Amino acid sequence: MSGTLREGLKKRVERLRSLPSSPAVLNPLLDLLRLPSEKIDLKKIVQLVSYDKTIAAQCLRMANSALYGRAKETESVRAAILSLGIQRVEDILLTCCLHSFSKGAKWGGDSAVFWRHSLGCAAVTNELALRIGYPDPDRAYLAGLLHDLGILVNSLTYPEEYQSVLAHAAQAGVPLDEQEIVDLGFTHCESGSMLAAMWQLPRPIQEVIRHHHALDKAPAGNLLVPLVHISDLLCRMRNLGYGYEEWRGVELARNSAWEELAKEFPRLKNMDMARFTMDLDAYLPRVQALVESVFASNVEQTEPSACR
Amino acid sequence: MPIEVSNPPVVDVKQESQDPVYFKIRDLAYQACGIYHSDEKMYLLASACKRRMAQSGGQAQTVREYVELLTNPSKRDAELRGLMNEITIGETCLFRSQPQLNALHNVILPGIASERGKIGMKKLRVWSAGCSTGEEPYTLAMFLLEEKEKLLKDWVFEIQATDLNDRSIEVAREGIYGDYALRNTPALYKSKYFNPAEGGKLQVRSEVKARITFTRLNLNEDSRMVFMKGMDLIFCCNVLIYFDLVSKRRVVQHFYANLLQGGYFFLGQAESLFQVNDQFHLIHLPGTTVYRKAPIEPVKVGQP
Repeated sequence: MSGTLREGLKKRVERLRSLPSSPAVLNPLLDLLRLPSEKIDLKKIVQLVSYDKTIAAQCLRMANSALYGRAKETESVRAAILSLGIQRVEDILLTCCLHSFSKGAKWGGDSAVFWRHSLGCAAVTNELALRIGYPDPDRAYLAGLLHDLGILVNSLTYPEEYQSVLAHAAQAGVPLDEQEIVDLGFTHCESGSMLAAMWQLPRPIQEVIRHHHALDKAPAGNLLVPLVHISDLLCRMRNLGYGYEEWRGVELARNSAWEELAKEFPRLKNMDMARFTMDLDAYLPRVQALVESVFASNVEQTEPSACR
Repeated sequence: MPIEVSNPPVVDVKQESQDPVYFKIRDLAYQACGIYHSDEKMYLLASACKRRMAQSGGQAQTVREYVELLTNPSKRDAELRGLMNEITIGETCLFRSQPQLNALHNVILPGIASERGKIGMKKLRVWSAGCSTGEEPYTLAMFLLEEKEKLLKDWVFEIQATDLNDRSIEVAREGIYGDYALRNTPALYKSKYFNPAEGGKLQVRSEVKARITFTRLNLNEDSRMVFMKGMDLIFCCNVLIYFDLVSKRRVVQHFYANLLQGGYFFLGQAESLFQVNDQFHLIHLPGTTVYRKAPIEPVKVGQP
């Protein structure tokens, strides 16, 4: 990316920070994300969630969705937090914040496609982490959720241009980052990491946002990067991508991210990947249902019955 | 013998299929036959179990009793086979797996065409192993005839279609299909490759039939398997579920040997070669997976 291009992009990303639609709880929430988990207290989270009624209602709807395997309806924010765990509630809260942050703005693409891919990739990254024995599956979820933050940035900062990027990529059946280089001169990895740095997201998450397509430049030792890379690929091969098919064959076993993960987690080599891939088909309807119930703009916003 | 969703799921079967005991049956079916039901397909397994229970003559009235039947050493093998028959009950149709055809059209055939174009060998050999009543080989023949008008111009292709069952082969040779088997067939193909037949059915035209050789073949018969050499693409969808692990390994080894280097092996959408064969490379394509025999490494000129 040239110097002038970088400056221009940076200015636009900085303007994002002061979007009037930015929800009041976003900043305290981002502060919370930077704390070590033992310093986070339940009360604070309940307060945060309850602060904004729209976001609280969305959180409850998400907590009750099939994607999180909820068997029983949760009516209060507190009960939702207790049953889901603080980490997952943070993720849900963050998702709702990002959604309401970008809602008023003009999108370059279909925002439902973005949420489907982000939530799908979060669920798949979490599942893969659990299966191979990655020590922090919650972190893996967050990494999957935020990895394409740059697509949101590009959609908001270059809405017209991004519309044609998406159309060109879909027409050629090529990965989005390749088309971004051709049409924009930079990828969502670069724009996403600018916003991630401004928000001071945890460093490992920033690295995922920056390097999930270009693994060779990723700092060694952050295994979230190859983990998200593989999950992202699987999503894109299984109808949870950017809303179009990428016409190519992918051999995971020959992928450098795969090799890096397999070195650390030998369980990966003994996994039935064909079967794991089939299991992913079960995510699609759940993610779809969640996106429709929470993120569709025409859904009537109802207030939660209780925000204790 | 491909699996087909014949009836829309009844709500109570769908809910009941979430009973943990069905997950145990799923594991049993997977271990014994290699067929796997994803969570979304559990209702199919549950309805198959229900049909078997109804046929059990009162031996299994509840699903828990049915699991006992499936785990009883003296009854297990026969019951598993019966259950597999029920699961794969011959409700197949033409154009059944669109993701496989899309992958062929967009990725696999262009790859083969560009490789072969270099050496001028414009020939494609395809084997439909376990072709049942002919739906799969006819689909492939029509699909390849379409490709011949564009990408595979001047190419020749031949399809070997084999099945163990004599009667299936006879039906396949006739090539007459009703609405149900043709429900996924695009109108263009219906008008281009079929003639009207009795009772409102359609019959495959002779130019399509001419591309296919139907023969009876037992995949367990080693002496005949070795003669199926030189294949580019092998399809064996929902057939290996009838084999135990040892014979499954042997059959897949034959498929591997019979493929040309760089050739592709297609299984049914719910099947996996995990622990059956580790020579094949698993390739992910949009909406489907396929197994590939490694291509010949290109020889670099000027190196010893």
